[in-house]
Amino acid sequence: MTGSGLVSLVTFLPLLGAVVVAFVPSGRPDWARRLALAFALAAWVVSLAMLAGFNIHATGFQFIDQADWIPMFGIQYKVGVDGLSLVLVVLTTTLTWISILASFRPIQNRVKEYMVNFLVLEVGMTGVFVAQDLFLFYVFWELVLVPMYLIIGIWGGANRIYATIKFVLYTLVGSLLMLVAILATAYTYQAANGTWTGAFDLGNLTTAAAGGMFNGTFGFLAFGAFFLAFAIKVPMFPFHTWLPDAHTEAPTAGSVILAGVLLKLGGYGLIRFAVPLFPEAAQTWAPAIIVLSLIAIIYGAIVALVQPDLKRLVAYSSVSHMGFVTLGIFVFQQQALQGAILQMVNHGLITGALFLLVGVIYERTHDRTIAKMGGLGSRTPVYAAALGFFVFASVGLPGLSGFVGEFLTLLGTFQVNQGAAVVATFVMIFAAGYLLWMLQRVAFGELSEFLKGLGDHLTDVTPVEAMTLVPLGALVVILGLYPGLVLNLVGGSVDHALAAVQHVAPVALGLGQ
Amino acid sequence: MNVPASDLAAIAPFAAAILVAAAILVVDFAFPGRKGPALAVAFAGLAVTAALVAIVGQTRTTAFDGAYLVDPLTTFLDLLFLSIVALTIAFAPDYLDERDLPVAEFAAVLVFAMSGAMLISGSGDLLVLFLGLELMVLPGYVLAGYHKSDGYSTEGAIKYFLLGSFSSAIFLFGLVFVWGSTGTTNIAAVAGALTQTLNAGALSPGLGMGLAFLTTGVAFKIAAVPFHYWTPDAYQGSPTPVTGYLSVGPKVGAFALIIRLFAGALIPLAADWNIMIMVLAALTMTLGNLVALTQDNVKRMLAYSSIAHTGYMLVGFAAFGAGQIRGLEGVLYYGAAYSFMNLGAFAVVAALQKRLGTSSNLSTFAGLIRREPTLALLMTLFMLSLTGIPPTAGFFGKFYVILAAVQAGGWLSALAVLAVVNAAAAAFYYLRVVVYMWMRDPATEAPVLTHGRLVWAGLAVATVMTIALGLLPGVMLDIVGKAAAAVG
Repeated sequence: MTGSGLVSLVTFLPLLGAVVVAFVPSGRPDWARRLALAFALAAWVVSLAMLAGFNIHATGFQFIDQADWIPMFGIQYKVGVDGLSLVLVVLTTTLTWISILASFRPIQNRVKEYMVNFLVLEVGMTGVFVAQDLFLFYVFWELVLVPMYLIIGIWGGANRIYATIKFVLYTLVGSLLMLVAILATAYTYQAANGTWTGAFDLGNLTTAAAGGMFNGTFGFLAFGAFFLAFAIKVPMFPFHTWLPDAHTEAPTAGSVILAGVLLKLGGYGLIRFAVPLFPEAAQTWAPAIIVLSLIAIIYGAIVALVQPDLKRLVAYSSVSHMGFVTLGIFVFQQQALQGAILQMVNHGLITGALFLLVGVIYERTHDRTIAKMGGLGSRTPVYAAALGFFVFASVGLPGLSGFVGEFLTLLGTFQVNQGAAVVATFVMIFAAGYLLWMLQRVAFGELSEFLKGLGDHLTDVTPVEAMTLVPLGALVVILGLYPGLVLNLVGGSVDHALAAVQHVAPVALGLGQ
Repeated sequence: MNVPASDLAAIAPFAAAILVAAAILVVDFAFPGRKGPALAVAFAGLAVTAALVAIVGQTRTTAFDGAYLVDPLTTFLDLLFLSIVALTIAFAPDYLDERDLPVAEFAAVLVFAMSGAMLISGSGDLLVLFLGLELMVLPGYVLAGYHKSDGYSTEGAIKYFLLGSFSSAIFLFGLVFVWGSTGTTNIAAVAGALTQTLNAGALSPGLGMGLAFLTTGVAFKIAAVPFHYWTPDAYQGSPTPVTGYLSVGPKVGAFALIIRLFAGALIPLAADWNIMIMVLAALTMTLGNLVALTQDNVKRMLAYSSIAHTGYMLVGFAAFGAGQIRGLEGVLYYGAAYSFMNLGAFAVVAALQKRLGTSSNLSTFAGLIRREPTLALLMTLFMLSLTGIPPTAGFFGKFYVILAAVQAGGWLSALAVLAVVNAAAAAFYYLRVVVYMWMRDPATEAPVLTHGRLVWAGLAVATVMTIALGLLPGVMLDIVGKAAAAVG
């Protein structure tokens, strides 16, 4: 194998952790918790080291590790990062250790298995962001599915089995069709070049795609398969129906990772694979996708408005917020795409924090019904303040990170598609509506009878809980004031993705050709 | 009669297999009621046979005037049959002992069946092919009815026997037509004669009839829809280790027959039979899956899902029929992958059913992860592999078959899409087992069972192969590549 091994280290360190934790005696759940946290922190440190060593001015991928895997088909073990990958890897490692820490108290049942699952999940997620070979990417993509399936299904709420099977089936339909598209793409490359060497290599395929290799009907269909897989993951309207169920039933940390990282796999896949590999088809499909994004933004917000359950409200807000991401990607404009990427990071941080906060109140009340809450500000001021902070961040208060992402997306969209921008901006009022209304009902006013009945059980945020929230809050402020931290990193990736697609004209409708 | 020594050398593995079966019976006679010596002879004999297969397989030869041949395909299939039989013998004793069924006879019958499969894989003549087929399936009927005091076992065996004999007759009838049209039964000569016939004009009605009968016959043997009705009853009624064997052994054997017959003798007619294969593939995987979705009994579910897997393999064979040698490689790879993961899954079911009267219903699996964590973990692996989740053998098998179909293009691309949609549907019923094992609490507290060393050793082999064929497919790719090249 050639390469520094740094990316492989950050990817497989959690796997080592999973193996180690698996050998902890079942009677010592505390060992499992601490070991898992230690490995997650170690992976986080390695990812930060990568961030420090990353050359922001160089183009292309860095820290590439490469080895032959299945030479007969030119399939390689090839991993590396560019700015976009790196940002999402750091987001993953950060949210993973926070989630593990946040699971210390809520998870008391089969702790060891839980931690093993979480660490395996991290391997899959990191792997998707760093894989430079389509086969390898697919392996990691599917690897994510199994631990998440178990996390929701074993440690989830009352309706967990329905939710987890729905989650798996939805995802699997999309990804298996993507597998066919991956194979067809690689084969098209092989047929044109007469060799399997490099037929699964992302860089090679992207270059070939720029030369028009995957245009026409083939590209139209293959893009459709890729898009379906990623759209289900994002999730875009109308493929979103698994999300509210999965979120509601998942344990708190599962929801955090689901919203924080798993949805980003979809956005990342669109930027990294679907658009650069099939630029012509992307242009062709773009109008329809923009309309779907707008529907998602509006629909998510309206449905969130009427949710009686805190977790479902946050889940539907995800549909709305992720609509901005797909909108920003498919207007093919520099600022919009930058905004979309920033929005992915922000959504990960803010929605992650909101799910943590729902988890905090659920720990104490074993209830998430908004109607039963009220007046939390008087009894748990720190909690109410934290909730207020992240709600405002989610609404898009200037100075906090949520604002910059949405603003950039809208700014970029306005330059190429004014109608879409106007509609999307209008919807931000709804977002303010459902979130602030929720805040008002939960935090302000008199303490509700239900909460009064809890007596001393209703305590404020504990130090451990604060430790999970403070880093996210700090990042929200820092990125709000200085979004350049992310934008400078992803600049190269954005230009690269746009260069592939901007100068390609859409075809009338590819099927006839 | 004067038989050259080289001919005898070529059939040495086949002869060895028969001798092993006979030796097991003799040892059982010498040590009645003791399974140890018989098992020792069985495993030692299988090891010797495997060594002979490897040695003889070094050079390509034909023997007995071309009636028997040794090529890389023969070697690959023989080794696969040996593995299947060895694993089945390893999984069986625990289950059979508990039901007072003799182990030695079981092993002997199984090895006889294996010798039939070996004859198929090495046949260069249509008559030898038929002999091998009968030698393979007759012991299968015996095995299906092995639990003779159990009504279901007997019922399954009778159904299996009746439909099996019926389909053998149909198959033989088809062979007669081919023989009548070409005047020879030698596979290579048949292919040559067919090429000439085709050059002279269109397909004669007699040959068309023959093709229809042959396809129907083999469709019965591989349990392709709509010729699958015998499968669920035969599978559910048989003792569980037998079901495991029946779902892979005769299936791989029948695919060996298909390869020798269609890819060898009938390849000039590929354009004619491939349409039938494609329709069969589409029906088989879709219907197998749809019915498997509704099963609450794991054994029956695995039976129907085995029909679906036949469909996936047929997709690979259809790709071969369309001119992609990769399709044949895919069939062989899938056959190997499916054998190990499915035998593993059935071994877990058998291990759980060790206690008399334990059903193979889903409820038996409830809460298994607490009772028997190792078995539950392995079953999870096999279920994920059968679903086709990477990095497991089942995933790479599907990958290969679908790649071949995509390469062939045209209607086969549509078949590839149908295959993956089916795979997604299959996830539902495979993961249901995982749900029961991990996420449900047992209705009653079943005692923890102890399992014999042979079971664990067999499970270890199945597990290692399930992971290795998924993670490091390189070695096997080489082997199936050579094997497929021998006929393609």
